[in-house]
Amino acid sequence: MSMLAGNLDLLLLTALLTIVLTYAMGNRRVNGWCATGLYGIQLLFLIMMGMQYTQATTNLQLFSSSLTATMFGNHLVWEMSGLGWFFAVITVGAALFSSWYAAGAWSEKRDGMRLFHVAMAVNVFSMLLLLSSGDLLSLFIGWELVSWASYLIMTQRGGAAANAAFRYILYATAGAVAILAAIILLHQKAGSLDFETVRTYLAQAPNALVWVIMLLFACGFLIKMAAVPFHLWQAAAYSQTPGPAAAFLGAISSRMGLFALAIVLINLIGVARLIDMSIPYTFLDARTLWLWVAAITVIVPTFIALTQTDARMLLAWHGIGQGGYMLLGIMVASPLGVSGGLMHVFNHASYQAALFLAVTSVVYRTGTADLDRLGGLVTRMPLAFTTMLLGIIGLAGLPPMNGFVSKWMVYKSLLDANMPLLFLASVIGTLGTILSVYKLIHNTFLGQLRLEYRDVKEVPWSMSVPMLVLGGIAFITGYLPGLVLDMAAPAQAVLGIAPLPHHLGGVTAATGSLNMIWVVSILIVSIGIGALIFYGGNRTSRVHQFDNYAGGHFLTADMRYHYSHNFYAGLMRVIGPWYRGSVQWLETGLVSISNFSADLANGIYRNAYTSAYLLFTVVAGLTWVMFG
Amino acid sequence: MSLVLVIAIPILGAFLLPMLSHRSAVLGRLFGPIIIAVNLGLALSIWQHVTLNGPQVEWIGGFAAPLGIVFHVDQFTAILLLAIAVMTILLWPRRMEDPIREPVLSLVLMGAASGLALSSDLFNLFVFYELTAVASYGLVASRATGPSQIAAIRFLILSAAGSALALLGIALIYSITGSLNLAYLAQVAPTLLSGPLGMSAFMLILIGFGVKAELFPVNTWVPEVYASASSRVSAMLSGVVSKLAMVVILKVLITVYANTSASLVMLVVGLLTLVSGELAAYRAKDFRRMLAFSSIAQLGMVAMAFSVSGTAGLLAGFAIMLHHLLAKPALFLLAERWGGHLDRLTGAAYSSKTGAILFLFLALSLIGVPPLPGFWAKYLLLTALFGHDQSLYYFAAAVLLITTVIEAAYLMRILQRLYQHKNSTLEPHRASELVPALVLGGTLFLSVLVAAPLGAALSGIARSSADIPAYIQRVLPVDVPKEINV
Amino acid sequence: MNVDWKILLVELILMPIVAFVVGLLLVLLMRKVRARIERRVGPPFMQPLYDIIKLYGKKTQISHGFIMDLGVIMVVGGYIAAEVFLPVPGMDGMAREGDLITLIYLMMVPSLGLALGVGQCANPNGSIGIARALTSMLAYDIPFVIVVAGAVILYGTSNLTEIIAIQQAGGLSSWGVAMMPLLAIGGLISSYAMLGKEPFELYIAPAEIATGPMVEMSGKYLGALFVMQCFQVYAVSVLYVTLFLGGGENWFTFLLKIAAVIFVSASVTTIFPRYKTEDAIRWLWKWPTGISLLGLAIVMAK
Repeated sequence: MSMLAGNLDLLLLTALLTIVLTYAMGNRRVNGWCATGLYGIQLLFLIMMGMQYTQATTNLQLFSSSLTATMFGNHLVWEMSGLGWFFAVITVGAALFSSWYAAGAWSEKRDGMRLFHVAMAVNVFSMLLLLSSGDLLSLFIGWELVSWASYLIMTQRGGAAANAAFRYILYATAGAVAILAAIILLHQKAGSLDFETVRTYLAQAPNALVWVIMLLFACGFLIKMAAVPFHLWQAAAYSQTPGPAAAFLGAISSRMGLFALAIVLINLIGVARLIDMSIPYTFLDARTLWLWVAAITVIVPTFIALTQTDARMLLAWHGIGQGGYMLLGIMVASPLGVSGGLMHVFNHASYQAALFLAVTSVVYRTGTADLDRLGGLVTRMPLAFTTMLLGIIGLAGLPPMNGFVSKWMVYKSLLDANMPLLFLASVIGTLGTILSVYKLIHNTFLGQLRLEYRDVKEVPWSMSVPMLVLGGIAFITGYLPGLVLDMAAPAQAVLGIAPLPHHLGGVTAATGSLNMIWVVSILIVSIGIGALIFYGGNRTSRVHQFDNYAGGHFLTADMRYHYSHNFYAGLMRVIGPWYRGSVQWLETGLVSISNFSADLANGIYRNAYTSAYLLFTVVAGLTWVMFG
Repeated sequence: MSLVLVIAIPILGAFLLPMLSHRSAVLGRLFGPIIIAVNLGLALSIWQHVTLNGPQVEWIGGFAAPLGIVFHVDQFTAILLLAIAVMTILLWPRRMEDPIREPVLSLVLMGAASGLALSSDLFNLFVFYELTAVASYGLVASRATGPSQIAAIRFLILSAAGSALALLGIALIYSITGSLNLAYLAQVAPTLLSGPLGMSAFMLILIGFGVKAELFPVNTWVPEVYASASSRVSAMLSGVVSKLAMVVILKVLITVYANTSASLVMLVVGLLTLVSGELAAYRAKDFRRMLAFSSIAQLGMVAMAFSVSGTAGLLAGFAIMLHHLLAKPALFLLAERWGGHLDRLTGAAYSSKTGAILFLFLALSLIGVPPLPGFWAKYLLLTALFGHDQSLYYFAAAVLLITTVIEAAYLMRILQRLYQHKNSTLEPHRASELVPALVLGGTLFLSVLVAAPLGAALSGIARSSADIPAYIQRVLPVDVPKEINV
Repeated sequence: MNVDWKILLVELILMPIVAFVVGLLLVLLMRKVRARIERRVGPPFMQPLYDIIKLYGKKTQISHGFIMDLGVIMVVGGYIAAEVFLPVPGMDGMAREGDLITLIYLMMVPSLGLALGVGQCANPNGSIGIARALTSMLAYDIPFVIVVAGAVILYGTSNLTEIIAIQQAGGLSSWGVAMMPLLAIGGLISSYAMLGKEPFELYIAPAEIATGPMVEMSGKYLGALFVMQCFQVYAVSVLYVTLFLGGGENWFTFLLKIAAVIFVSASVTTIFPRYKTEDAIRWLWKWPTGISLLGLAIVMAK
């Protein structure tokens, strides 16, 4: 592994500079453009670093930085591997687009923009630190910085956002202490915290110890990913974050947990070991456990999203669900599966950011994200509609968008590994997603246009261009998935998985291939043929939305002739009773126990009979000494 | 230059101060800080001397140990002396009150605390402990408000009872071994003090000194006193006095009761202190009470740290002590303006921006967010507990981690309230409160930048303090006869 | 990959046309079967084609907006694209570049197009129809996916040409229906649900929601939906035949098998009334799912 010093230093310094400059520029309009430019420069550095990965032999290269420290015998080092590089590109890209969106008309007459840009810059810097950690202690430092930076970005609006962010930080602190416990346990047993030593130690450590360490690490990282059963905090927190920042968070923030989890489970413990560790009294092993956690994370949040009436909550819940696909792909640990999971991180970032920005545009013009109050905006905001259409096709995982490719790879890897039930679970997630995103686009853009939105205009160019570009990226990487697969190859090498043979259009295998160039081209041509057939016929005449079948009635503007509330009534009658909220009950229970214990403790201290305590203690102590 | 000067000058100054302030108000105002500055200079020179020449021993009056009084100073004690002087000057009362109680008692406290840090035999420790106690009773009651006087009386009763118990324990040790010199006791303890009588002596000493060290369950005075006394007095008590009481217990533990089940007792007591402190803080509705409970919890952590024998435990305990010594007084200084019910704090961040940022920084450090020093202190504690490899210690570590979450809950709750958008009726912090708080906060922040060398230095200090045989060798050189006829 | 461009081009043009023609015949078959059971004569041979030409040639064509047009275009275009990936005797098309999973998802693109087009019609009947259609998709896709998973695992490949080759290599006993009978039954039932005919016709429901998606569709729009029906019937039956009935060795047996599948479906359809939404969901998640799971367990045990 050859080291290329310098580039990582430049990247980290630029990220630090972004924080300083955004703070210094305050609420001025130029702050947003300056931040966007700086993120572009960081992306450029990352691309330059990425050019080193052109040959497969260089995939295990590490970029080292001059940031090192020695604390209490631990040698902390920061260096970026291919895996960190892959996630870093997505991070800086997401920040670039969010900041671009926020730089223009969105930030006019809006206060709190300095905190907005500073918070995003702090997030990017801390994520870059996390992604370039070279040993477990620097990973933990980066992890905590990321957690608190996310808290900052979530809480900036105050009010309900602060409450949601508070809930988040409690979950995050609980996760952090679990990770810290695992790290210190490893330190004591293995003697050092650098990855090599830990890997060698874990290879010959007893199963019980590896279980404990794995569970502690996994719980900590899964909280950030909001996997079931830690999923309750994320949707409220992400939906309350201001629009572009929510796009950034939804795109990449929870994937930090996936990054760390991949390092610990695949890199340090190793899949072979996971399969070795069986759960007593069952035929399951540790890998099956994580596969099923991922599967349940795919299904449960997706169906919770189905019931949402706030567009941002709906998208946030879907973000949680899609994380399950990524974990699923990575835990299958075949070349196809890991590539699929990693590619899904990129794909999801592109269309999730696009969707959040589209919804933010709607909120910007109409003032609401309530799906029961919107409708028919397609004629007023066609660009936002286009973005949302591209986004939902990607989210649902249908061709021609990139979401289809990564999901195809995950499905195929599950079938190749003979795991049909997990395949069923992931398809159930996709089906639920299709239902849910159709409701999103229908209630927002299709159907009847309300009177109060008759004069709504399209969002300005400074806002529509970034979201359209994101949609375009989702389309292009769907057309040419080899681009993203090339990027994911170094990441896959770091995880120790064999590389996936692929070409620009997709994957060719004997048991079923996918060539998106052909698929998308044929789709486009076919739609073209359909258009020819269609437009070759007689001319159509446009009619007003009130010129509609209404069983004999005449429609007027005050009659609300739009089906949006309780969109899937029939389905809800069947599955409605299945939403029991058991995890919520668990959370409430824990809070009650803490409150009760706190009252007890407070009661002890309220007591004025201090001398009684003294007497009691003396007697107890002496009794223990005499007879103990 | 004798170590006695560090004690004698403040006490002398305390006696002279009322006379001087009667003569001339200006001189009275300046005299206190001058004395403290002198003390600070002495402490610095002691630090320099010890760093260059290693730990020093001084026999008072020339009488050799184990009969005479011995003062022992190593690097950690020198740090404590510095800290005492710096804290006294930072927490010096704002205006000269008439009567001149607070400054005088502060000077006495400084001298007595220095003596407590330096002493190396049980009786001297007890004398200075009592002197510290008397000074603190007076300081608590100096505001002359009803609640503070009641709190002072309750504090006095409990502390006096504790002191009596501690004296009983000391007498017990004397009756068994015939000496009160810690080094001598360290040599004879394995044979004479390992039975039930010796352990009872330890229990009595632990409970007695534990009153000031805020250990469960004799710390019920803490919330009352910290809530009703002036913030600066509370800062001094929680920042300095409690640490010194803990240092006394530590000295007894590592010299006399090393490698006995006394460590287990420390662990249990520390654990109970930690848990009860954090839970009560979660419930607290008053800012100063919350700080009091947090202080209790941090001292519980120190006790847990010291229950681990060896360098690791000492290092963890020192780190937590030093961190808390800087953080908690800063918080109490903020409490001068923010004390009272937590609901008063709604939106206070917008009237006092620096104070809020400082609170954020200190809260994050207390919770233990890297790379702040509070994280390294907790990390060292966890490493020490895990390193002991016994199930009770693992359990204690787990409890520590869980209480961290509770700590995050109540501190972030306050922070959220501070930043709520509402017109605050609170006045902003004055410079006299902010400047010392910023000095303390700034020191913590700077320590982040020099974390690596600081950590290495602290490890070295802990290693030298843990070296008991060398300590014994220094205090009782080989050519001095060790037998005492009882 | 080496591809003979001329043959490929011929295949790309021919396959959709073949699909359309065969689809017309199948629609005719369905209508004839229904008529005969209802003791009628039934429509003449070219009726389905006449219907489409009539609709296409109407003078009045109303549209509610561009998305309605786009939706209908996607319906036709999506199915044209999907048919290219479905191998028929003599023409493999693009089956090498896209496998079974790709085909299933490509078949969802027309449904999405329809949903978008109906959405802009701004008629709640249409929106309810689409909601019901998506709900029934969720319902029938669960047994269908189980069947697909079982089939892919049994054959060891998801490449359709490979699947056909495996079945034809061993004669009748290596057909899917012989190797995994339970999965074949489950697949048949879910295929019928996919066709959207009684008893799973809940998304059209003429008596309740005024034919659902078709409420505002007339003229060439309705004609496009008719075309979609042709393609859909063809695609579902051919998929079933490919997976379970050994594909098509030659055109004669191929058409026979497809006709058999549709014949049984039409017979069942004519007799049954329509399920309510929740009843359809519950039934589909009970019986076909249960049978398919059992079949899957047997396949996995092998």
